[in-house]
Amino acid sequence: MSEDFRAVVRRGRGWLPVLGVTALLGSGVALALPTALGRSVDAIVTHHGYGKWFALTAGLITIGIVCALVEVFTGTACVVSTTAWLRHRLVSNVVRSGPDGTREFDTGDLVTRVSSNAVDAAQAGPAIVNAIAAIVPPAGSLLLLALIDPWLAAAFFGGILLVIGVLWVFARRTAEISLAYQETQGRIAGLLTEALTGLRTITAAGTNAREERRILALLPELHKHGLLTWRVLARSGAQAAIVGPLVLVAVLAVGGLQLVAGRITAGELFAAGQYAVLGAGLGGLTGVLGELARARAGSRRAGEVFAVETVAHGTLSLPGGPGRLTFDGVSVIVGEKVLLAHVNLDLPGGATVAVVGPSGAGKSVLAALAARLRDPSEGQVLLDGVPLQAVNRQTLRAAIGCAFERPQLVGTTVGDAISHHAISTVRTLAAARATHAHDFVSRLPDGYRTPLLKAPMSGGEKQRLGLARAWPASRLLVLDDATSSLDTATEMQISKTLTEDRHRRTRLIVTHRTATAARADLVIWLDGGMVRATGTHAELWQDACYREVFG
Amino acid sequence: MNRELRYGFAALRKPPALKLAAWSVPEILPTAIYGVAVAHATDSFLAGHAWQGIAWLAGLVATACLGAAGAHQVYARLGELVEPLRDDLVRRVVAGALHTGDEAAVARLNRQVEIVRDTFAGLVLVIRNFGVTLFGVLAGLLSLAPMVAVFVVPPFLLGFAASLAVLGVAAGRVRASLKADEELATAAGMVFSGVRDITATGSEEFAERIVGRPIDEQAAAERSLARVAALRTLCFALGGWAPLLILLATGPWLVGQGVSTGTLLGGLTYVLISLQPALNTVMGALGDSGLRYVITLGRILDSTAYQLAPRPMTDSKGHQLRLRGLTFAYGPKAEPVLADLDLTVTEGEHLAVVGPSGIGKSTLAALVCGMLTPTSGRLLLGGVPPSELSTDRLAMTRVLIPQEAYIFTGTVLENLVYLLPDASAAEVGQAIDAVGAGALVDRLGGLEARLRPADLSPGERQLIALTRAYLSPAPLVVLDEATCFLDPDTERRAEEAFAARGGTLIVIAHRISSALRARRILVLDGNKAALGTHQTLLRTSPLYRELLGHWQPGNQVQRDQIQPAS
Repeated sequence: MSEDFRAVVRRGRGWLPVLGVTALLGSGVALALPTALGRSVDAIVTHHGYGKWFALTAGLITIGIVCALVEVFTGTACVVSTTAWLRHRLVSNVVRSGPDGTREFDTGDLVTRVSSNAVDAAQAGPAIVNAIAAIVPPAGSLLLLALIDPWLAAAFFGGILLVIGVLWVFARRTAEISLAYQETQGRIAGLLTEALTGLRTITAAGTNAREERRILALLPELHKHGLLTWRVLARSGAQAAIVGPLVLVAVLAVGGLQLVAGRITAGELFAAGQYAVLGAGLGGLTGVLGELARARAGSRRAGEVFAVETVAHGTLSLPGGPGRLTFDGVSVIVGEKVLLAHVNLDLPGGATVAVVGPSGAGKSVLAALAARLRDPSEGQVLLDGVPLQAVNRQTLRAAIGCAFERPQLVGTTVGDAISHHAISTVRTLAAARATHAHDFVSRLPDGYRTPLLKAPMSGGEKQRLGLARAWPASRLLVLDDATSSLDTATEMQISKTLTEDRHRRTRLIVTHRTATAARADLVIWLDGGMVRATGTHAELWQDACYREVFG
Repeated sequence: MNRELRYGFAALRKPPALKLAAWSVPEILPTAIYGVAVAHATDSFLAGHAWQGIAWLAGLVATACLGAAGAHQVYARLGELVEPLRDDLVRRVVAGALHTGDEAAVARLNRQVEIVRDTFAGLVLVIRNFGVTLFGVLAGLLSLAPMVAVFVVPPFLLGFAASLAVLGVAAGRVRASLKADEELATAAGMVFSGVRDITATGSEEFAERIVGRPIDEQAAAERSLARVAALRTLCFALGGWAPLLILLATGPWLVGQGVSTGTLLGGLTYVLISLQPALNTVMGALGDSGLRYVITLGRILDSTAYQLAPRPMTDSKGHQLRLRGLTFAYGPKAEPVLADLDLTVTEGEHLAVVGPSGIGKSTLAALVCGMLTPTSGRLLLGGVPPSELSTDRLAMTRVLIPQEAYIFTGTVLENLVYLLPDASAAEVGQAIDAVGAGALVDRLGGLEARLRPADLSPGERQLIALTRAYLSPAPLVVLDEATCFLDPDTERRAEEAFAARGGTLIVIAHRISSALRARRILVLDGNKAALGTHQTLLRTSPLYRELLGHWQPGNQVQRDQIQPAS
């Protein structure tokens, strides 16, 4: 059993003993009840010891009900609190692992781990308890059946083989048919998706009804496949109806003969019938084992997330300074691949620095290093003389802002996607005005309070919000191709704001545009992970290879 | 809840439902016979008549075979009830999605419709099973000893009624749990796709809070559901265990009344083998499938409940466009996108609309095409507001080609004649030539070749959509950045084709070059607007000069090629 699985089980240790006791008690009651009932009836007939057996039966039933109640509460408490604990830890681990730690994971996959796998994993403790407790009634009833009379057990096994046969045939047939059904469903969904992407055209042309007919043309096929699934169910349902009573009848017939022979009482015959039914519950065990397997898979999937190391931050704060950015012998190597090699740069505080180069040159890697979105394999990056890795998280993020080509906005409203400190609306507004995000946010139905999910935005609009989000940085602004989707007029206005920045922040701008490079104080020209040259745009422009970068 | 139940009952008012009920009769037999057979067999064995006992058991197997025939028919009839219901839901979802444009409809189509299909079938089966069992047990008990029935059936029904009452309590909590679950998935999706951005903004705690809230809400909902489950256990104690104890308690008296040992055991068998499982299943099914059915079906019905506003049928004359004091805002609290705009576009004119992105150019296109209604002011197309024209008449008057071109799985020809299904081969050929889509059609394998939308580049999709629009019978053409993925030469050819096509052309310009080809230009700036020719705007509009400034040939900035104007 894996360490993760054990950790999840340990988490529920307060509840598990209670769960175990009630589950075993419940199983015991289920086993004892047929005998107690049979004996009660025997006692009624023989007029001997009725009071004792009736009291025992009533007691057993009461215990069974109490056990069920306790199990409901402790079982839920255990699973719910373990689920929430796992989920909080998973979320925390993911957001603190940084972009580097989570690169291997797909977003949808991570969501599944938190939403459904965590629930499966949380069943670990109860699943073990259930697995043990679930074996007791069927195994015990077979034992008791054999104890009443060995022939009864033999009759039981004859019946059980038939049931297994039916289940096997059923499982095979449905798999094929439901596949065809799902394929048709997928095709209908595909056509609908297609139509939804062209909805403006369709609505304008008034061809909604025609589209509806086109998509629904597949419906009869779906109907046909759907009916087939029912036909398979019908066959297996019929088989089950025949096979179901066979186990019971076999046991009762053999038991009846024993009764005639005087080897068992009428009450024992009744008990034997009940044990045959309980014993047939052996099929239910597969469900319990499945639960256990899911719990193990779920905890393994949680463990894979926990195995990712979170980003470690230092404790230092930054001394006063202009925002001088230093790359000291920095290399980034992933596996065999060298993304950046021996970068040594000393960028003066308050300067506008453009980073240019062909795609794959390492521009975004350089930007990510400056914003400490990843750490170098060798060397270090310093801001005003302090290595970024030594700075504490709050100070670091207040000092450095980073905007991206494709920003992912996080928040409940458009306003808190710009600034998650809900307190400073003034700052949010200032940042939104500076980056021209205010122009379109103010036209949303609820302005800054519009729910993020209800505000569909174009690439350029998202970029403006991304810029606004990074704007309050105190020392260094990193823009990684962050204005590429803006129209020229807006881009011009934002660059003007950037150039005339009265906060005198250092600006590191990854760009493809000559105009941006031309306005920068310094240009870093990257090629194949190396700094090919640094200088002003005018100086570098003399080199034909440099001009080709913008070609 | 009533609406969902009504929907379910309506689906049952069909011939297969009757057949299903009829075939339930043979299916009942084994259930009804069970206790009777056990009772008589036991009594026979007790009396030493071994073969008589075996014969009773064989009778049980024989009725099981009859029951199997019934079960076979019942499942098949169930399919005939369920599949039409699923068909109807698919129809509703598809029609609703095409009306509202809700992209969640695709998920609804697969997941939610299947949930309703499965839960509906399960419910019909379980509830019918419950009725059948109750009926069978009642018949069996009455034939054995009516006294036993009197002790068994009332507490059983009482327990069942109590569990129905509990159901009402559970509904709200199940709903809360499902809602929290969905919110969790949405919030987690947003946060996990933005880890880079969260790191960059140092908003780790904020992100944890966003996902943490639904996590805690879900836990709270599940905890309160445990209390419902406890109530359900008590209901089961009443309906499942009380009859057993009553039967045992009154046993000596019953035997004194002449009830046989076998009959007493038969009664116990009925409770343990028939009634208890039936009650357990129906409580579970109603509490789980039942609530999921109601909630999921409710979602589908909500999302597909829309009203098609009746359109007054006015007749229009021509296709002149007149805007007077046109104002539009996306909400009562939102700032207007367009304010007090006056504009007349006469028949045959060529107008370009330019301005920064997000300024409201597409909104203007949607207003002109009658897809949005002005907040105030007037917009007349051929003398009447577009909302007063029938959709067909509107489609005959104007054609809108949006940025995202619509291509569907079908032949190239089907895609081209979408707006003019009875176009002649000559007309199609002429349109292809005019727009410049000949090379593309050849590459695709001719007009009869099948198109797979995913195989086309955005530019190729636009070229198909442009050819389609060229074929449209409408005299007023609105290109809403419909050429943004084309290279400048192809764009020029397409735009010139439309200008030569006759009728009015309104181009929402993506590149400033589109404006230079137009006779008049509308510059949108904030909610101000300037209208004029290229020459006058150069003098009067600073924004126009600025937009144009980045595009003057010879300018060094010009190495970026032609700049987007939007």
